[in-house]
Amino acid sequence: MSLAFSLSGQVGSCRLQAQAQLAANGVTVLFGPSGSGKSTLLRMLAGLQDCDGEIRFGDQLWQTDDVTLPPWQRPLGMMFQEPTLFRHLSVRGNLDYVVKRRGAAWDLDSVVSQARIEDLLGRSVETLSGGEAQRVALARALLAGPQLLLLDEPLSALDHGHKQELLKMISDIARKVPVIYVTHDLDELLTLSRQVWLMEQGRIVARGKAHEELARLDGPLAQRGDATALLYGELGDYDNRDHLQAVTVAQQTFWLPAAQPVSGEEPVRLRIAARDVSLCRQAPQDSSILNIHPVQVAALREVGPGQAVVQLALGDQRLLARISSRSARELEVFPGARLYAQVKAVALG
Amino acid sequence: MMLSDGDWLALWVGVKLAVVTTLILLVVCTPLAWWLARRRLPGQALLEALLALPLVLPPSVLGFYLLIGLGPSGPGGWLAQWGGARSLAFSFTGLVIGSLVYSLPFVLQPLKNAFAAIEPRQLDMAAVSGARPMDRFFSLVIPQARHGYASAVILGIAHTLGEFGVVLMIGGSLAGETRVASVALYEHVEAGDYASAHRLAAVLLVASVLMLWALFRWQRKQNTGVMP
Repeated sequence: MSLAFSLSGQVGSCRLQAQAQLAANGVTVLFGPSGSGKSTLLRMLAGLQDCDGEIRFGDQLWQTDDVTLPPWQRPLGMMFQEPTLFRHLSVRGNLDYVVKRRGAAWDLDSVVSQARIEDLLGRSVETLSGGEAQRVALARALLAGPQLLLLDEPLSALDHGHKQELLKMISDIARKVPVIYVTHDLDELLTLSRQVWLMEQGRIVARGKAHEELARLDGPLAQRGDATALLYGELGDYDNRDHLQAVTVAQQTFWLPAAQPVSGEEPVRLRIAARDVSLCRQAPQDSSILNIHPVQVAALREVGPGQAVVQLALGDQRLLARISSRSARELEVFPGARLYAQVKAVALG
Repeated sequence: MMLSDGDWLALWVGVKLAVVTTLILLVVCTPLAWWLARRRLPGQALLEALLALPLVLPPSVLGFYLLIGLGPSGPGGWLAQWGGARSLAFSFTGLVIGSLVYSLPFVLQPLKNAFAAIEPRQLDMAAVSGARPMDRFFSLVIPQARHGYASAVILGIAHTLGEFGVVLMIGGSLAGETRVASVALYEHVEAGDYASAHRLAAVLLVASVLMLWALFRWQRKQNTGVMP
């Protein structure tokens, strides 16, 4: 099923104008600062917010100039920032509410066990913790048997542990159903996304693969203080003595601390924050840093006073380094220059 | 404690009036309260002021206008012709009409407050869960407004039972038709029958206390009071 839309509308003083297509399964992160219109766009797609334009989903027309399909007829599931469980119903009642109206396209028991809410079914929704409530809300959204999931900052109120757990669930679900996920949290973007739409002032200003958008120096992501590059690699050997896992990226070996050998689907993804990468002209012989790799400067951009971001080519992948403008000048960092990148911290996932 | 047959009849007329009035008001006020709680339209403040007028207007003023309106030369008289009568004044139907006006704010306000307290997000979520507007109203709005309905029912009944001024103006005191307990009590006092007056007054007092006690107790248990 593919989604294509071209929408415009006015909400308060904010004008929104957006068009995009969404093809296959997987998570598309709608990323942007607060007030950029992300939630409004999601509400327009759900039919909860009036707007002009066209929405096409597969061979269904959700909205044209003449017709608007109401929200209860659009085959989607949704989560809001707050769990928004129906307060007069139990957990079980919340799930049944959807099943009764949408028909159980997905098996109730398997959704319940996937969301790990077996023990909560009889509880009143008022007694749930934030994490529990969002798991119930996720299960309820799934029981709508959605062909598209719209998630509006569903994890923003949760602590780190609960967040990771739900992010994992959402990633798993996205194998079966396309997900549009609104957030302004870079960590969530890094964890979830293969595709990203960047939104600013009511417009989608860029669309593309997450790792490409993250490394684009003319985009907003590389200019952030927490700018991060994503690299894809293959799992290599595990060093038992030092508890280090090798990951090969463009024929270079990165060593990651790991208590035990890493297993999982390949390619694995590495996250490297721009501020954890420093540059030098010669490869240092006696550094404590494990990951030192030859790179070629692809591009350079000043960001803020005295700071620069350097885009580095590692094979056909891109790494970012955030350095001072003085270092950039003294090291003679210019496109094409061959340097060594010292990577202080690498995270998997 | 023994009440006379006449007093029992007056109590029965009062209860019947209160129940009929409250049931009709629930039906009328549900859409009205929803509309007032959810929309912002020009003229709404004036409309709300008019609907709340019975709260402050002396009942005799209201009764006077109702008497004119329900009488042979008012719209009530015109309506009464269809039923073969001259006037709706001094009839049970007339009393019901008067009570509807008089008790309306006591049913309307709790419902309006309860509806206004329902988060719009709950309705949005119900919509994307597959519920149409009418379905949402019955499956979500009414259950979530149940405290408001409880308040509306008890206040509507209690307030109609306590009616006096309006009834005196438009109902008179026809036994079994328009003589309610409060009017019967007044007549006992007028006639100097203080013993009967005491008994009837005690019954009304205890009934009122019991109803309000039930209301507050239930609201305390639910931990969310919705009072006008």
